[in-house]
Amino acid sequence: MVLSSSVYFVFLVGIFLLYWPLSRWRAGGLAVLLFANYFFYAKWDLFYLILIPGASFVDYLIGLGLGVGNQRRPTPPLATAHSALSAWFQQIAARAWFRRLLITCSLVLNLGILASFKYMPFFLSAWSGATAHKAPEWHWTFPLGISFYCFQALTYTIDLYRKDGQPVRSLLAHMTAVSFFPTTLAGPITRVLVLAPQLEKPGKTLTIEESGRALFRIALGLLKKFMIADYLAENLVNRVFDTPGLYTGMETFIGVWAFAFQLYYDFSGYTDIAIGSAMLLGIRLPENFNRPYTALNISDFWRRWHITLSNWLRDYLYFSLPGLRSKWKIFTYINLTLTMVLGGLWHGPNWTFVAWGALHGVALAVHHGFRTARGNPKPSANFWIRLLSRVLTANYVAFCWIFFRATSFENAGAILGRLASLTVSFANVSPALVTVLGVAALGHFWPRAWYDFSMRQFIRVPFYAQAAAVALLVLAIEYVAMTGAAPFIYTKF
Amino acid sequence: MTLWPRHPLLFLLAFAAIVTVPQFIPQLFNWRIFEWSTVAHVLDFQPRQPSIAPLEEEQARMRPDLTPARQNAHRIVDPQLVLAPFYAALLRVERREPGAVVRILHYGDSPSTADLITADVRALLQHHFGDAGHGVYLIAKPWAWYDHRGVYSKSSGWVIDPATRHAQPDGWYGLGGVSFTGKPGAWSKIALRDPGQTRLVLHYVGQPGSGKVRITAGDVHIATLDTSMPQKTAAHETWRIPAEAQEFEIEIEDAPVRLFCVEFLKDSDGVIYSSLGLNGTWAGVLAWYMNGPHWSDQLKEARPDLVVLNYGTNESGFPKYVDSTYVKDVREIVRRIRTALPATPILVMSPMDRGVRESGGTIGTISALPRLVQKQAQVATETGCAFFNTFEAMGGSGTMGRWYQAEPRMVSADFIHPLPSGARIVGALLYQALYDGYNNWKMQQLRQTRITAAGTPPAGAQPKEGRAR
Repeated sequence: MVLSSSVYFVFLVGIFLLYWPLSRWRAGGLAVLLFANYFFYAKWDLFYLILIPGASFVDYLIGLGLGVGNQRRPTPPLATAHSALSAWFQQIAARAWFRRLLITCSLVLNLGILASFKYMPFFLSAWSGATAHKAPEWHWTFPLGISFYCFQALTYTIDLYRKDGQPVRSLLAHMTAVSFFPTTLAGPITRVLVLAPQLEKPGKTLTIEESGRALFRIALGLLKKFMIADYLAENLVNRVFDTPGLYTGMETFIGVWAFAFQLYYDFSGYTDIAIGSAMLLGIRLPENFNRPYTALNISDFWRRWHITLSNWLRDYLYFSLPGLRSKWKIFTYINLTLTMVLGGLWHGPNWTFVAWGALHGVALAVHHGFRTARGNPKPSANFWIRLLSRVLTANYVAFCWIFFRATSFENAGAILGRLASLTVSFANVSPALVTVLGVAALGHFWPRAWYDFSMRQFIRVPFYAQAAAVALLVLAIEYVAMTGAAPFIYTKF
Repeated sequence: MTLWPRHPLLFLLAFAAIVTVPQFIPQLFNWRIFEWSTVAHVLDFQPRQPSIAPLEEEQARMRPDLTPARQNAHRIVDPQLVLAPFYAALLRVERREPGAVVRILHYGDSPSTADLITADVRALLQHHFGDAGHGVYLIAKPWAWYDHRGVYSKSSGWVIDPATRHAQPDGWYGLGGVSFTGKPGAWSKIALRDPGQTRLVLHYVGQPGSGKVRITAGDVHIATLDTSMPQKTAAHETWRIPAEAQEFEIEIEDAPVRLFCVEFLKDSDGVIYSSLGLNGTWAGVLAWYMNGPHWSDQLKEARPDLVVLNYGTNESGFPKYVDSTYVKDVREIVRRIRTALPATPILVMSPMDRGVRESGGTIGTISALPRLVQKQAQVATETGCAFFNTFEAMGGSGTMGRWYQAEPRMVSADFIHPLPSGARIVGALLYQALYDGYNNWKMQQLRQTRITAAGTPPAGAQPKEGRAR
């Protein structure tokens, strides 16, 4: 069930109608959301109904164990019910080795799920290549949403291990938060400790402004996905990357940039729909994008692109790597690169993602080194230097996207080869495509204030006018843009 | 306290009303944006299909070890059994008769340029009947898209004139439809993955003042060919190449030279399948742009056992051309080939489906394509050619849409070019049709032999003379 499909919206309306009357009761609201989450997973594959609840339950228990260690005083239920056993457990749970054991179990569980159900064919293929043995067949691949689930689940246990919060006592709340359906397929990766309290909060309300905002985000997401991302994909990007040899260097360059915009509009469109959907249920999700191609440098880019993933990588991976506090500064650079390489691999079991991550990691390390050597100066205020910085950063990011989009190194090489051919022709770039690219660029650089103004105007109009506007948008999508509901790119990760 | 938040509920009701109205007003019926049947799909927990294409069937097609006759092959239309001489040549190869080689020339457009489809047919035929060499390869890449499976090339310094550009006043484009003129220093490096090739043939234009071409295989100097001749002649020269040689270099030495292509051949029996694709080509190129007598000489020298004419994709974008002069052009191509090769069968192979976005967003078939395929079938019947309906074999109208929506995709987003997985299916379809025809022909010969009981060899099975080159 893709978030842009009509089936999803029928489902969302159903959940909306079911959720609000029952959300007066804490358990009622949670039960509806948990049902919705598992229903959502089951639409992809019934196997998820075993995998996700099983893994969530184990993480819940681990969380409780870590939580016991976080308590300064014994918790009442454990202390009163089985006082002797409880006291012993309190002592054990407070020990560092036990906490390490618990977090290791959680890491093994979640990374094991990732490895088994997403990366196993990749590992087997790599093993086969290295040993010249035939790789055994592996049919247990359930990649959809697994990466996001595992990262979201790990936020919980790692936060508890670091004593950054208290465990979620309610199993229902934990299982609902860890598999919250709008974030299932492609984020935003939301900390369980941030999400669970929102889910548990009784007596939620939805103001006119909030619902208007939610509907605006959903409509905007659909617009981004169908009118821009899919159009660019079908009319240039897929063609160029499928058959690079048929395109000139200039067309390939435009194709690469079209992919940069396609990816942004596809993923940010998904995020808009996810945030809007959650908002309709009274839940706030974190933002994921902030005009990433206006970044001044590569570090700035990662503060603007897939913000929840970069925060996750920073907080849970980079800070966990050894050597960060070492006097050997080289570890900083190695860890930056390693973090991004692993972040690249997280996107999919393909060496091209590793290369993409490595390119970003090296760039981050170089930028960090450059800034450190110059005493961490503030970015220049000179307009032309800032413009040059933005252009260089955006083009480097676009260059890296080649490896992200390419199906293989051979494919990436073919694209680079076409770029290097320096041949110029625009025969395959139609005026309509130029228009959509122009709109995409304009939309990306659209000032925040103007965006807020547009949203406020939408919120101010009466509900029937909003419904008519959304209906018109759907009509436009149906008859003007390319239909067929291509899956969101990031749902593959 | 109301059960639902008021504003979104009113929005939903208003939206539902708006999308429902067109269902009940006939004038607005085409403007409906929501199908109420979608509601039922929410409860649809059917296992998802990884591909819309019938995978098992396709995989079966990929299995040359299976007996294709048992499978549901889309047959070649050949009521007069014009392919009999070709089948007879295949039989000689299958019987391992000494020196038996089957040569196939496949003229096509952009998919053939990238050796899509043809590479798969080549692989399947060579797997079953034996590998007698890669066949024709152009001197350099006229288009970045030009690519033969198992062959890699780099080049520099050539003036490249494909026949499609019609830039050569003499219309000489060799067998492959491309002329290469190199000044001193122009070079091409060609590497083959398969080290088993034993002979290299260079096709060139000999003429007064023409320069020398230096041919090397790895570090071994094979020959320096002086291409100067008293009068302008299309010629070729064959050399044995060192065992296991995989890398070849062609370099112009002292004065400009005009070349066409190289051929890589083996001493073993089997099939040589030459992919002769021209990017963006249409029937008029073979019919009018290629110099008739010159092309005729090239065809005679090639001595193919089968010529495949696989055009039509580009033409289908020009409905007026399809309806007016297309038939005339195809007839002219057939006439030209017949003049050069009166005994060689011709197989007209229709183009694949070509998709186009229709109103409403579905991917349909470009309107002129079915008409074009019909005309091809008609010309094939009238001119005594065999006909293979690729369009129908791959699924008919809308196939490009289905293959595009398959996961993973089997065609490019232009709805014209197959991706390797799609090309493999089309290649396998052609192979199966040929193999099926061959088996039927063999069965027919057996029945005839039994009826006559005279021991006369089957029609068309007479071995030709002087096949080896």
